[in-house]
Amino acid sequence: MSRAAIQAALARHRIFPHRTTSAIVEALAETAKQWLASGNPWRARAIAEAPGPTGFSPAMIAEAITLTFGALTRAALGKVPVPTDAPRRITQVLSGNVPAPGIGSICRGLLWQAVNVVKCSRRDPVFPALFVESLRAVDAGLADCVAVLHWPREETGLTQAALAGADAVIVYGDDDSIASVRAQAPAPAKFFGYGHKISFALIGRDAGRTGDLPALAAFDASVYDQQGCMSPHVFFVESDAREFAATLAPAMAAYEARVPRGKLTLAEAAEAALVRNDYEFRSASDRRVAVWTGPPPYPWTVIYDATPAFAPSCLNRTVFVKPLGTLAAMQAWAGKVSTVGVAPWDARLRSVAGQLAERVCPIGQMQRPPVV
Amino acid sequence: MFAFQYRHNPAYRAFCDRRRAPVTRWEEIPAVPTSAFKEFAVASFPIATSVAEFHTSGTTTAKAGKHYFKTLDLYDAASQRNFAGHLLVGQAARTLINDKAATAEDRRAAGPTNLPVLALTPAPVIAPHSSLAHMLAVVAGQDREFFVEHDTLLLERLTQRLCEMQWSSQPVMLLGTAFAFVHLFDHLATMHFDLPAGSRAMETGGFKGRSREVTKPELYRLFTQQLGIPADHIVNEYGMTELSTQFYDVTMRIGRQSDHKDVPPWARVLIIDPATGEPAPVGARGLIRVVDLANLWSALCVQTEDLGMAHADGTFEVLGRVAGAEVRGCSLNAESLRKQ
Repeated sequence: MSRAAIQAALARHRIFPHRTTSAIVEALAETAKQWLASGNPWRARAIAEAPGPTGFSPAMIAEAITLTFGALTRAALGKVPVPTDAPRRITQVLSGNVPAPGIGSICRGLLWQAVNVVKCSRRDPVFPALFVESLRAVDAGLADCVAVLHWPREETGLTQAALAGADAVIVYGDDDSIASVRAQAPAPAKFFGYGHKISFALIGRDAGRTGDLPALAAFDASVYDQQGCMSPHVFFVESDAREFAATLAPAMAAYEARVPRGKLTLAEAAEAALVRNDYEFRSASDRRVAVWTGPPPYPWTVIYDATPAFAPSCLNRTVFVKPLGTLAAMQAWAGKVSTVGVAPWDARLRSVAGQLAERVCPIGQMQRPPVV
Repeated sequence: MFAFQYRHNPAYRAFCDRRRAPVTRWEEIPAVPTSAFKEFAVASFPIATSVAEFHTSGTTTAKAGKHYFKTLDLYDAASQRNFAGHLLVGQAARTLINDKAATAEDRRAAGPTNLPVLALTPAPVIAPHSSLAHMLAVVAGQDREFFVEHDTLLLERLTQRLCEMQWSSQPVMLLGTAFAFVHLFDHLATMHFDLPAGSRAMETGGFKGRSREVTKPELYRLFTQQLGIPADHIVNEYGMTELSTQFYDVTMRIGRQSDHKDVPPWARVLIIDPATGEPAPVGARGLIRVVDLANLWSALCVQTEDLGMAHADGTFEVLGRVAGAEVRGCSLNAESLRKQ
């Protein structure tokens, strides 16, 4: 990637074609629907190409397709707000290996009738490019309004070239990346930064009536190998937390059998091993701690810990189950909480959760957010 | 020793029993995670009778790990011999080191060397829970001085002493943490010494946020540039509160700078593949696990939180602490939250 290539892309993608909002919704929904068909070639390519850079298993990629494109319905896309003074040229910086936010963000850029320069993530160069290619077959004019490019973040000159002339900048990433792009963005451009976040779940004492709660909880914790910002680190349980942990463990194993965890980096595997070792040693002589884990390579771990304080997980399907005490300490995480899953879906827990997070949803729906 | 510790340490016994795996070879001895030293008394004797307890500095959590000793005889013997073999090369080590009749007390009193020692740590008397301060006191001869008081490195006094050593053509041995040396180099700024030939340094530990981070080549360049100690006279020590044995770069033994570390005969280092929990092949990275026969009173097999690699010649290399696995998705993880 060079500055000239970015400038050529900008020159090529300059004017948004005439489209009504409903026509854009229709094109995007139609494209998304095609991805959901089992024989779809884009889907097949993603399942073949994405495991490498994302680190997810092919089955996880298939699950990601179902979640990401399943969410792009006519109804959901129709609800994306379009401001009256929407920007005409957007530069988007995507991050991480979870495809949903980036695909949703590209859809929003098109619904705003903007020309989009998208810097995709090193962790997922596959989905944004394939999505735009698949859109081309449905509406080439729309596809022409998205240039998907990649360059290393250290190449700040290229980032500056991509930012030049943007009247909106959308950045996903950690606080440092967001600050760095913000510093380089043109002053008049609107800036939207989406930082990394944590999520957790609350299980009330009446949750027994909630369907197959362990399976729903295991789904929320296992999808994207727990690396998404909507992936719960902790399940806080109001009644018997240890008993819930004991039922969550086989549910984690069942999900693993269907959708295996991806390959971990050495640092990730080592971190998970140390957490597991620590709690396993404690659990041997401390009744307030218990550990369940799968056979090597330990694809999931459930840790019951009677200490009610929030514990950030090392991720990759290592989930904590703790008693639900006062959540006052969660105030320390204000602004860093994405989603709180609750079960049962009643007013009491929803109001507790609503004070802590921007999004509250039933357990089992944590990985199914609105499009943007 | 495993049977002894299994019998006398209830927490360890419970941990071994939980695994339900028989121990038939030394490689199968269950490893005590260093984190256990924070939560439990990892000791095979009543800790009320301890003669010493060393504490970790609590780099990752507020709670300190504690290592209790019924006696320090093994600790001191292991420390002296190993230090002498890696730092006193080319020095006439006092014969007491190899004198089997000498008691630990004799050795401690004599010290292994005549090289004056400047230690960039507190003296053991003011830091009784620092394993490093104790170890340096044990390996240094009687001509030694400690340059940390009230958590402060006594830079003026240390600089003055370096001047004296240079003017009197007296080779000297500098021992300390890497971050203390960085503070010294920052203090010296453009000033530089040319310490007499034979001078040497031992540096240990990471930076733990206590000074600016400096790579090992850069640190060694500063040693040479500001003190006149060549890279083949600088030795990295790998040790930890939870162990009784230290590991040193082979540098002075082979006469050139090396990152490979020797394993003394009374210890074994296993590199564990975290995905399987089994030993990794030579050349593969994994978690460092140490079997340390000098850890008689605590845990002979300790699972560290460091990554390393074994070499075919029996040495190993330390590749740093497990921390900061890169976040691949959009969630914050434990490490990224710690940094905030």
